[in-house]
Amino acid sequence: MIYPAPWHTIGRHALLPAAQHDEMARFDMVAHLNAHVAQRLAPKVREAYESRVLNAWRMRQGHEPADRHEVAAAMKQDPAYRAFSLVRRNTMEIRQHAGRTLVAREAERLRAVAQAATEGAATLRLDPKLNLPRYVTAVDTHLMQGGYTAERIPADVSNAANYDAGMYATIGGSGGPWNDAAGRALVAWLKRHHPRFSPQCIVDLGCGLGHNTLPLREVFPDAAIIAVDVAAPMLRYGHARARARGFDDVQFLQADATATPLADSSADLVFTTMVLHETSRQALPKIFAEAHRLLRAGGLTLHLEQPPYRGLSAFEQFMRDWDGRFNNEPFWSALHETDCAALLAKSGFGSANVFESRCTAPPAGQSADGDEQQEDFGRAPAWYAVGAWQAAKGIAADG
Amino acid sequence: MDSMEMNHSLPFDADPIQPAAAAATGRRPDSPQFTDDPMLDRLYGVTLALITELAVTRTRLDTVEKLLARRELVAGEEIEGFTPDDSEAAARSRLQAEYLDRVLRSLD
Ligand SMILES: C[S@@+](CC[C@H](N)C(=O)[O-])C[C@H]1O[C@@H](n2cnc3c(N)ncnc32)[C@H](O)[C@@H]1O
Repeated sequence: MIYPAPWHTIGRHALLPAAQHDEMARFDMVAHLNAHVAQRLAPKVREAYESRVLNAWRMRQGHEPADRHEVAAAMKQDPAYRAFSLVRRNTMEIRQHAGRTLVAREAERLRAVAQAATEGAATLRLDPKLNLPRYVTAVDTHLMQGGYTAERIPADVSNAANYDAGMYATIGGSGGPWNDAAGRALVAWLKRHHPRFSPQCIVDLGCGLGHNTLPLREVFPDAAIIAVDVAAPMLRYGHARARARGFDDVQFLQADATATPLADSSADLVFTTMVLHETSRQALPKIFAEAHRLLRAGGLTLHLEQPPYRGLSAFEQFMRDWDGRFNNEPFWSALHETDCAALLAKSGFGSANVFESRCTAPPAGQSADGDEQQEDFGRAPAWYAVGAWQAAKGIAADG
Repeated sequence: MDSMEMNHSLPFDADPIQPAAAAATGRRPDSPQFTDDPMLDRLYGVTLALITELAVTRTRLDTVEKLLARRELVAGEEIEGFTPDDSEAAARSRLQAEYLDRVLRSLD
C-alpha cells in the first residue's frame, strides 16, 4: 500500500486557505479513501470481471464484451464495481464538501489577499465583458459546485481556493507540494527531446490556477509567459498565488482559448495541461486552430492529457471512463475517443508535423531537467502528450 | 435556469449540482444510483461520511493526547472522569449538531 502525502505537506503560500486541524484531517481521509479505492477496490473490480463477469457474459451473449459499453452493461450489477463506485463517488462528494466548508470560512480574507496582490499590477487582465462559454458555466465540473466561473461574493476566489487545497487531497500530493507535476513533466519532455528549444513567448491555454504554468518560468526565465483562462476567479487566485511565490512577471489573461486577443504568429510555445477533456466537442478543434494562429514558424503546440482509449482493452477503457460517467466530466469520454493528432493535423499543422508522445514528471524537488529515466517505483505521474510543430505557414497545410 | 444567474447566487452550503435534474427525479442532484434501492445509496453516503468524520475525530484525539503526554499534563484517568461546565457543554452541543449536519448531508 502506498500512502498518500498528508495535507500539511502542501506548499504554503499567502492564498492557500488556512485549514484547521479537523479540516486537514478530513483532507487526509479523502486522500486515504482515494488510495484505498485505487489500491484495494480497483483490483477487486478487475478480479470480479476476470473471474466471474466475463464468463457469465460469454455464456449469455456467446462472445466477449466488444467495447467499453458492453463491459459497462456486464459490470453494472457486479457488487465489486458497485462498492468501488459508491466509495469513489462519495469520496469526491466528501472532498468537495470539505473544501467548500473550508473556503466558506476563508472567502473574504482570501479575497482581500488576492486584491492586495493585484493592486497596481499590470499582470492580471480581466475582461468582465467576455462571453463565457456555456459548456464551462453550466457544468459543475468534477462535482465542483458552480464550476470554475462561480462567484458567491464579488471578486470571489473561493472556488479557486477550494480547487487548490482540495486537489492536493484528491491526488494525495502526487503532484508535488505545488500541484505542478504536469508542468514539470512538460519541461522535462522539452529538455530531453528538444534541449535547444528556447521559446521567447509561451502561452498556456486554460491555465486554471497556473499550477503548471510556473515550472516553465523556472527554465525559461527570459520568455514572456501568458496564462489564459476564461474563469476570472481562477485567474485572480492564480495571479495572486504566482506573485506570492515570487513569480511577478507571468501574465494572467481572461480570454476564451478558442479566440484570444493575442496577435497572429506571436508565440513559440502554446500548450494545455488537463484542459482538453473539459472542453466541448465544438471548442476542441477551435483551440487547436487558435494554437495554429498564434504560433510563429518553428513554434510548438503541446497538450498533456490522460491517454486516449484507442489501443486499450475494453475493460481498461471502461475503468478509465469512470470520471465521464460519475464525476461530472461530460466531455471526458468523447475526448478520449477523439484522435487529437488527426484533429491537430486538420487544424492547419499538417500530418507530417504532428506527433504523439508520453511524459513523466521528475520527482518533486528535483530540478526539472533531471534524468527522466530515474527509478520512480511507479509513483511518477505520467501523461499522454499530443503536439505539432509549426512549419512556415501555408506550407504544412496538407490536412 | 440561466446558468450565470445560478452561479452568482450560489450559497456556500447548498448542495445542488444540477437543480433541474434533482427536481425531476426527487433524488439528490446528479447522484448516480449504484444499488437497486435509492435508500441504500444514501445509506452508503452516510456511512462514508461517518467513516471520514470518525477518523477525523480520532486524529484530533490523538493530537490532544500526544500533546498532553508530551507535557506530562493529563493522565488517562482524568479523561475518563471529565465533566464539562455549562459553557463547555453548550459549545459541545453546537459541535455535535454541526457534526450531524455533516454526516447526514446525503439525506438532505
Ligand atoms: C482542469 S482545469 C486545468 C487547469 C490547468 N491547466 C492545470 O493544469 O492545472 C481546466 C481549466 O480550463 C479552463 N477552460 C475551459 N475551457 C476554456 C476555454 N475555452 N478557454 C479558456 N479556458 C478554458 C477552465 O476554466 C479551467 O480553469
